[in-house]
Amino acid sequence: MILRLLHRTTFIYAGQARDSFNEARLCPVDDPTQSRRHFVLRTDPVVTTRDYRDFYGNIVHYFDVTAPHHQLVIEAESEIETTPNDVRAPIPAVPVSELATCAERELYAEFLNESFYVPQAVELWREAQDAMAGQRFTVWADAIRLGRHVYQTFAYKPRTTGVSTRATDALAQRTGVCQDFAHVMLGMCRSIGIPARYVSGYFFNRGRQPDDIEASHAWVEVMIPGHGWAGFDPTHDRAADERYVKVATGRDYADIRPVSGTYRGAPTRELRVEVAVTRSDPMSAPA
Amino acid sequence: MPPATAKLPPPVARPQATVMLSRVAHSLYWMSRYIERSENIARLLEVNLQMLVDFQSLDKDTTTEHWSSIIASSGDEELFEKHYETSDSRNVTEFFAFDLRNPSSILSCVYAARENARMIRDQISLEMWETINELYLFLKARNTADVWAAGPNEFFQHIKMVSHLFQGLTASTYSRNEGWEFLEFGKYIERADKTTRILDVKYHILLPSATDVGGALDTAQWQAVLRSASALEAYRRFYVREILAWKAAEFLIFSDSFPRSLYYCVAQVDDFLRRILGETGARPKSEAARISKRLVADLQSLTIKDVIEEGLHEFLMEVQKSLEKIGDEVVQSTMFYPADSSLEDQQQQQQQ
Amino acid sequence: MFVPGAEVRPHYRRLAERLGSMPENDFNQRRAAVDLAFLRQGVTFTVYNDSEGTERIFPFDLIPRIIPNAEWRKLEAGLIQRLTALNLFLDDIYHDQKILKDKIVPTNLILGAKHFRREFMNFTVPRGIYVHICGTDLIRDHDGNYLVLEDNLRCPSGASYMIENRAAMRRAFPNLFRSYGVRPVEGYAETLLKSLRHIAPDRSEKPNVVLLTPGVYNSAYFEHCFLARQMGIPIVEGRDLVAQGSKVYMRTTAGLEQVDVIYRRIDDDFLDPTVFRPDSTLGVPGLVNAYRSGNVALANSIGTGIADDKVIYAYVPKIIKYYLGEEALLPNVQTYLASDDTDRKFILENIEKLVVKSANEAGGYGMLIGPASTKAECENFRAQVAANPRNFIGQDPIMLSRSPTWCDGKLEGRHIDLRPYILYGEKVTVTPGGLTRVALRKGSLVVNSSQGGGSKDTWVLQGDK
Repeated sequence: MILRLLHRTTFIYAGQARDSFNEARLCPVDDPTQSRRHFVLRTDPVVTTRDYRDFYGNIVHYFDVTAPHHQLVIEAESEIETTPNDVRAPIPAVPVSELATCAERELYAEFLNESFYVPQAVELWREAQDAMAGQRFTVWADAIRLGRHVYQTFAYKPRTTGVSTRATDALAQRTGVCQDFAHVMLGMCRSIGIPARYVSGYFFNRGRQPDDIEASHAWVEVMIPGHGWAGFDPTHDRAADERYVKVATGRDYADIRPVSGTYRGAPTRELRVEVAVTRSDPMSAPA
Repeated sequence: MPPATAKLPPPVARPQATVMLSRVAHSLYWMSRYIERSENIARLLEVNLQMLVDFQSLDKDTTTEHWSSIIASSGDEELFEKHYETSDSRNVTEFFAFDLRNPSSILSCVYAARENARMIRDQISLEMWETINELYLFLKARNTADVWAAGPNEFFQHIKMVSHLFQGLTASTYSRNEGWEFLEFGKYIERADKTTRILDVKYHILLPSATDVGGALDTAQWQAVLRSASALEAYRRFYVREILAWKAAEFLIFSDSFPRSLYYCVAQVDDFLRRILGETGARPKSEAARISKRLVADLQSLTIKDVIEEGLHEFLMEVQKSLEKIGDEVVQSTMFYPADSSLEDQQQQQQQ
Repeated sequence: MFVPGAEVRPHYRRLAERLGSMPENDFNQRRAAVDLAFLRQGVTFTVYNDSEGTERIFPFDLIPRIIPNAEWRKLEAGLIQRLTALNLFLDDIYHDQKILKDKIVPTNLILGAKHFRREFMNFTVPRGIYVHICGTDLIRDHDGNYLVLEDNLRCPSGASYMIENRAAMRRAFPNLFRSYGVRPVEGYAETLLKSLRHIAPDRSEKPNVVLLTPGVYNSAYFEHCFLARQMGIPIVEGRDLVAQGSKVYMRTTAGLEQVDVIYRRIDDDFLDPTVFRPDSTLGVPGLVNAYRSGNVALANSIGTGIADDKVIYAYVPKIIKYYLGEEALLPNVQTYLASDDTDRKFILENIEKLVVKSANEAGGYGMLIGPASTKAECENFRAQVAANPRNFIGQDPIMLSRSPTWCDGKLEGRHIDLRPYILYGEKVTVTPGGLTRVALRKGSLVVNSSQGGGSKDTWVLQGDK
């Protein structure tokens, strides 16, 4: 599936801003599930951008706008070809007992440790125990059960959480958005020894209504020993398939913030985020 | 001719410390101003306390009125009234010496001078730092009651001495570089301002309509004005006769040799400002240099008669305003960093 | 007052004789003069969590600590070996991670460490030096052997006290130095400046070196000024610097001036709000990317804290062996890792007899001294260790050696440690001397200035007596 993505972030200031330094993680990754055909990052005011690859392999663009400006627009445009569902390697059934002995255990230790948004907390562990109901199957099946548990016991309610909400806060209120669903699922997976990481990206919504708002999305990947990372979306209760485009991965939201920076000047009056995901290859015939 | 193999002199190494951080320059400027300010406040208090002792027969109202005019000249009336009921000698001493709620009390000034000095400790000499630090420790260890018990004279004497010591140490231990220009600029701009305020205390005597002139009290008060500017002896050497109000004012405004007169200070301000801003031509390039040039020209061409006719108070207010503008302009134009206080300059985070 | 007894070690004998002949009054006068000089000059540090005014002098003991030459030579060799190995370790951790692949150090300890800066993987630091300034804390056990207590590889402080203490001693006892043959410590600042210039980008012959301070309210502000002054370099705050186009400039009265080397005394977390803590107002936005681009050098580099983590500490002897093929010349204190199942059991069962430390805290905070703590304090730590094993270690309490110290009008033995300063420029050097800290409270083992410690001058002798 070929998807065309436009992600435009606009900061409008209540006055002038200057000495603005920013990092953007908006460039989709290139991996076995997707290939990047095209990417361009534009800013207004126009400045030179540079980039580096961070610890998790994400491409980070950085730039500074020193001159005074009233608004800052960061626009990322890309075209991604995702690997069709039917040619993806099937996820093997690996018993959970292998987690303790597998070669990956050392390598992915940090996806078992706590991170800023996903603390090691008794509540998350208990929640995972409840969801497991005393039975363990395979790594992938257990991960799905945890994700499904979040999907079933949480209410999707925008504006009940914010950028600083941690997994434990979201769990206490059982509401939130995709970011919170992902954080809670991460905490539960890690508490029972499944290495899990946060994924930011986009989701092509086939059944989208004209006034549905499109936004960036977040889900979880778990490490399947001998296979690699496998994605599950607890907000929609399904595995990440060809409709999902990965932009960045990390321990939690803190590692993948799409845009982050500092500046001097007036406070931000308005933050506008526009995301458009369109399909650019000819539609396959409806099944 | 030297042999061909003669070694060339090594290239002149650019010493690293030729540049001066804006923040350092401004700390030097403010440190210098605050020390000068603390000295002037000390002198003002000392002289006026002494005068009230000399005229013990003064009734309570006259005393209050006397102090009120001093508080008014410093521009702190509102603040004083907010915290004190009566303007008696003790309250005024407390307010001007130790009250940290008053940003221009001696303690506040010394504290501010020390904080600025702390920020540039690596730039000033050890002796300069020690002097400020000791003055701070001296003040911290005392309060109004102590000062009153031990006799206020010695207390004020000490503060003045330390200020002079500091200025002397600065002159003898600080290199004549750009920092020196900021130190001197700060000192003279503060001194000029304080001289206008000392004069302003007694301006009403020089109103063109004033009739009650020449009494014993009036003479004593003008003596006090001159002493507040350490100018009594210099005045006597210059005029060698009794103290006349307009002559005292003339001396404090126009003397071209007395180092606390308005003209002398403004001329120094003008000189250092030109050096700081690199104003070499006859025609000023910056707003600061324009204002200061105009001010110097006024002080060169006006006479005391003009000033009194125009109104001494109004004249002094104008000068104060010009000085303030000069100070602000110089700070602004040597500042390549934003002040942190204003909303416009706060560091903000943004993320999505 | 200073009665030479059987316990006086030979290199203290002359000092004992000299002080023994001095009337007590005279001695006290000199003591008072030294204290006053420190206060006047503002040789102070700031105490956090103290509503009272906040500046204090660091209590100074006039009795020096004396180290004979032969003893120092051994120490010096051990310190150089240690820093050399730790630098190789950092280079490896941030590049190929061979030591992890060879399973000498467990990978999860690195990945779980608070100070591991994943942002700097595969970044090549100027001249390959990560740690330019190191302060290593040493103690002596009851047999007189030096042991390493901890390494300080981020922003070690205290070098200014080493120099100021020497100046104070010279004033108090001008004649002693001549007769004793004490090696000077005053070369520290010059060597430091050389080390800093060594990492400057090639841009200019005369690089602009600056010292970056968090500001006047930092506890070590005095030291920042002192060192900047000694080196003749500007001391700057974050707001004096600006990054533009991946270069760093300072704001001077004449405009912007490019900076080549930053001796930073700000922790990684606060250096650059764009990359690290976004709420930091102390740092310089854009600094890290300028560093990444090679236009400015930092000392110490970013991410060095991984090597002074108290858990990694336990692996240093293995690290030395791995990179240098040598045995560690300076041994560690016996350490138990809570992350190891057997060790954790031992710690939990014996917490009352051990010293327990949190992995990333400094300055004597986050630490339990079992034998000197209440039952409740021990319980509290037991729970913390069980909940977060990666973050704790246990150590046998070492009877720190004691040194004669002037307390309440008489000499008494007090526990001391030693922090020598190691600089890494063209080569690794150790300044002959260091900061000897002394626990002034009787029986106390805590020597940190923030917790009631004082200091002594440290004399390294040219000879052995």
